This record gives sequence, C-alpha cells and structure tokens, in this order.
Amino acid sequence: MTLMAELCHSPARYRPQSRSPLDERMHAAGQGGDEPNVGAPTDADLVRLIGAVAEGDRMALRALYAATAPKLFGIVLRILRDRSAGEDALQEVFVRVWQRAGSYDPQAGSPLVWLAAIARHKAIDRVRQDRAARLIPAEDGFLERLADTRDGETDLARRDALARCLETVEPDHRNCLVLAYCEGWSREELAARHSRPVNTIKTWLRRGLMSLRGCLEAA
Amino acid sequence: MSGGTDTGAEGFWAGDPDGAAGEYVLGTLPHDERVAFARALERDASLRAAVAAWEVRLAPLAGTVPAVSPDPGVWAAIEARIGDARGAEAAAPPRADIDPARVRRLERGLRRWRAASGMAAALAAGLALWIAAGPRPSTDGGHYLAVVDRGGALPALIVRVDLDGGTVQVRSLAAEAPPDRSLELWYIGAGAPPRSLGLVTDAARRTLPAPLRAPAEGASFAVSVEPKGGSPTGAPTGPVIYSGRLLRE
Repeated sequence: MTLMAELCHSPARYRPQSRSPLDERMHAAGQGGDEPNVGAPTDADLVRLIGAVAEGDRMALRALYAATAPKLFGIVLRILRDRSAGEDALQEVFVRVWQRAGSYDPQAGSPLVWLAAIARHKAIDRVRQDRAARLIPAEDGFLERLADTRDGETDLARRDALARCLETVEPDHRNCLVLAYCEGWSREELAARHSRPVNTIKTWLRRGLMSLRGCLEAA
Repeated sequence: MSGGTDTGAEGFWAGDPDGAAGEYVLGTLPHDERVAFARALERDASLRAAVAAWEVRLAPLAGTVPAVSPDPGVWAAIEARIGDARGAEAAAPPRADIDPARVRRLERGLRRWRAASGMAAALAAGLALWIAAGPRPSTDGGHYLAVVDRGGALPALIVRVDLDGGTVQVRSLAAEAPPDRSLELWYIGAGAPPRSLGLVTDAARRTLPAPLRAPAEGASFAVSVEPKGGSPTGAPTGPVIYSGRLLRE
C-alpha cells in the first residue's frame, strides 16, 4: 500500500443514508442522464444567495442553510464531537453568515470554501473553550485516502493535487496537519499525542505547511 | 516581509507571516496569537490573502467530511437570533410560516411535463420554489404553505399565498430564466388544468384570480419555462422546473 493521505473521515463512516444536494452535484456531473445536474446548487447559485443574504433577505439565508448546513454540520461535528455543541456552533455559523455576507468576495474563493472556513473557525473557537472535550482520543479508523473520496463540492484537480502533495509531507508533520485541520487538535494536544514538546509541534506544523505549499505551487 | 501594517513589525507573525496564516487556518495558534492575528486580518490585506490561499489549499480536506443533517430546531434558533440581529425586518411578525418542522419538501413534479427537460438543464441548477403562507398563523384557512423544489434542490423562489388578501407574491432568489425565455407560474387545482398566475419576476405581487380563492387542498403550483412573455397557448408548453403542493397552515 502506498502512502496514505490521511483524511477527515473513515470509509466506514462515509456511508450517508442519502446524498446531500452537494454530493449529488458531483455524481450528476459525471452521469449525464436524463436529469442532468439538476437539483444541486452550483457555486453561482450560492454566490447569488450570499448576495441576497447580504441585503438582508432571510429567505435567502434559509435557502443557503438548506443547501449547506449538512455539510457544515459535518465539519463542526468532526471537530466538536458533540451534537449539541455542534448545533450551537452551527447556529453561530449562520448568524455570522447573516452578519458578514457582505464581506464575501467571490474572487477570493468559492462560497463553500468561505462557508467552511467560518464553520471551522467557529468550531475551533468553541473547542478551545471546552478543553474537556478534547480528552477524547482520536479514533484510529478515521483516516482515509483523499483520492478515494467521492465528494462533489471540491474541485477535482485541487483535491488530487492536495492528496498527492500530502503524501510528500513528512508523515508526522502530515498527521499533525490533518488532525489539526479536520479535528481541531491544538498544539498541546498534538504534543501529548506525539510525546514531543509543544515547540516541536509548532515546528512540524510550519514545516508541514511549507512543504505542502511548495508542492502545490510547483504543480 | 512584515505585512506592511502599522503593527506588522511587532506582530508575532512577522518572521513567518505565511506560516502564521497557515496555522491560523489550521486553528493551532495559541489563543492570544489567534486573537491578535484575527484582529490584524481586519486591517491587513496581505495577511487576508495569505489566509484565503490556505483556506483554498486545504479545503479539499473539509470536503471529505460526510454531511450530517442537523436537528430541525437549529434553523428555528438561527431565525430567532437573526430576528434580533438586524433592524430591517424587526417589525415583521414571528415567522411561524417557515418553521422547518412544518415545511416539507414535496413531490418532485409533474413528470409528464418533464420529458422535455433539456431546457430545465439549461437553467441554473438547484432551483426550487417556496410557497409560503402569510405572516399570520392561520386561524381561518386563508393561508397556505408549500415548499417546492427539485428533490433536495436549492430553493430559488419564494411565493407567498394569502387567500384572504387574494394575493400571490413571487420573489426570485436564485432562479434565472434562459435569456430568451420566461418562467411562468401555474396554479393547478385538484383535477383541473393549470391556470397561469403570470410570469415569475422579482418582487412581483399579483392578484389571485377569484375562482382560486377557495380552500386549496390538493392544489399545486408549478413553474414552467415558456417563450419570452409567457405561454402563447394559455397552458404550459415548456418543461416544468418546479412544482409542489399547497399545505394548509
């Protein structure tokens, strides 16, 4: 088995009962059946909705919520590991979106990247407030190969490039990057996991990031 | 590079702004640094750009997290909070009409009209139609609610139906007709042929025809793609891109 790019979820968990609209987008895109690509929000749809939210349109926020909340909830749950805390964080995410939709710049990134960033930051802020939640160890089975994921909202070329470049990162460094990004681990928690000083973890994170960036930019 | 801000030289990130931006995105900055960095972001465009680049680089990892449906109560809580967060709609009555517990995704559509769906595919994907009752919870049967979409699609239109006032209001969120076509709204009574309620245009309020101002169990709404200006025949001629049933509130 080649190096695995470690992922935010285990294959066993990735069996959604029903596909989300976002998941469907990817599947529909590759199929071209008699209902081609209908029923899934495109980036352009989401950009329009965020624009309407910026103007104070509550129904647009409702629509945005309908389209993206399950994905964002998955992201915050992965970090918080508690449904109640996750739902509180999800509330804060959409209140933030409501307040800050006007600051979204489509040129800076896709709407899903913007939304996911808000969700991750809210979850991380919250998990840092409640350190007890982090006593739960990472589950061994949660890593997965990036290349195996079949998820619609990510540009495939970017995904493949990230998967390839993560494989070039020193394994310990990569492990820290992935645990931090996907599960919200702090430097201290990573230090405990690896039995290394916190400063070493900081060095690993920085080196891992620079290694990743170098690989992605060389592509 | 210190980032060129007034405090950039003193910021902890001065020696490695891109690494700090990356760690900000990862969430691994110590609390004090995280707070200081977030504050610096407000005024430092180069740091914002560095953060945005890391968000984009790492986003495929977030994309691998499986979606999980939140409890329906979450939306209600959000709505309650944003009701206080902005003054613009503060005067509006409580929005019992769109309590998600009572909102239902409805049938996918009038399939016989969907055979010619090529035009539907040309529309922005992820369209849906909301038909919401008036602001007051109904005690007189005059308000109906339907949520219409294309099977999990993104809601794109809002249609409010107030049988007491005899009005239908349509608002477009994400719906776009092809440049040489119009979207037309149809009312379909149980067992009756579709009856046009006019074109779907932004912020349009139209009068509900008198014969339709009766309790509407079993009635549906649909939106079809028509030639510019509407159906030439008085009946839907193009593919139906949304439909759904009215529910009594």
